[in-house]
Amino acid sequence: MINWFKRRRNKNTSYDTNEEWVEALSPPVDEQAVDVLRKKLIQGLKPALHKYVDRELDQFVEDVAQDALLKVLDNIDSFRGESKLTTWAMKIAVREGLTELRLKRYDDISIEDLKPEDGSREVFSLTVASDETSPDRSLHESQLIDKVMQIINEELTDKQKKAINALMIQGLPIPAVVKLMDTNRNALYKLVHDARLKIKNKLELEGIDPDKMLDKL
Amino acid sequence: MELTTDILKNLIKSAQMAIEHEIGCDECFDELHELAEMELAGKSPAEAMPLVKDHLDKCGSCREEYKALLEALQNIENGQK
Repeated sequence: MINWFKRRRNKNTSYDTNEEWVEALSPPVDEQAVDVLRKKLIQGLKPALHKYVDRELDQFVEDVAQDALLKVLDNIDSFRGESKLTTWAMKIAVREGLTELRLKRYDDISIEDLKPEDGSREVFSLTVASDETSPDRSLHESQLIDKVMQIINEELTDKQKKAINALMIQGLPIPAVVKLMDTNRNALYKLVHDARLKIKNKLELEGIDPDKMLDKL
Repeated sequence: MELTTDILKNLIKSAQMAIEHEIGCDECFDELHELAEMELAGKSPAEAMPLVKDHLDKCGSCREEYKALLEALQNIENGQK
């Protein structure tokens, strides 16, 4: 009976405030509020995602909005009110959509396809042998490469070398590396952050100024 | 495999830009809705949330999501006018 009163009371609400939204989206859920939010999400997602979707944009956006709504309802307790509820919900929907698109992009690519062609492309086995030095590469540049490679080889863990190799040397996009390393984006970022910091600190420790290095390249 | 000058430059730049306390993608996501409203209200992201802005400068995936979020919000706002 209480639920019936709540639904009835909410029937004519325009959901202007966060309090109204939170009440309507908390159990028992006001279906009208869900519908209003779904329409808003679709309205925002279409222009934001259209350049990534080559066909059936309407269906894709509707599916994304539906998945996002489920997440919003599941996590409504965690909404802290730092923004409009619709902004928070849109953030969830945008990530949902782009994550889905990224997964699709790499769905057809096997991990084997993402791996380096041969072992010699692994960073930890990379060396710059003198006979590989091209004529137009200066001695100084070769020395810098040697120094950076030495730091990578000696300071980084195998996981960090793999990530640096995939992202910076092979130039693979982040979602591909996430798949290759069977990790998640946050963990990959932290792994690479630690690696970058180690390289920076080692350069400083050895009295090498990165700005001067870059000037000379 | 030979390192090209461009790869070497990127490696050095990326290391040079590293700061001790960088936030990860999850912490960035936690703040994104707030930053988006601030930016749409005309505030500078770098001043409002420097750590989030720093992360967005360094993480292409989060930056892509943030830009899409701004676009989505602007469209809703325009639709209401």
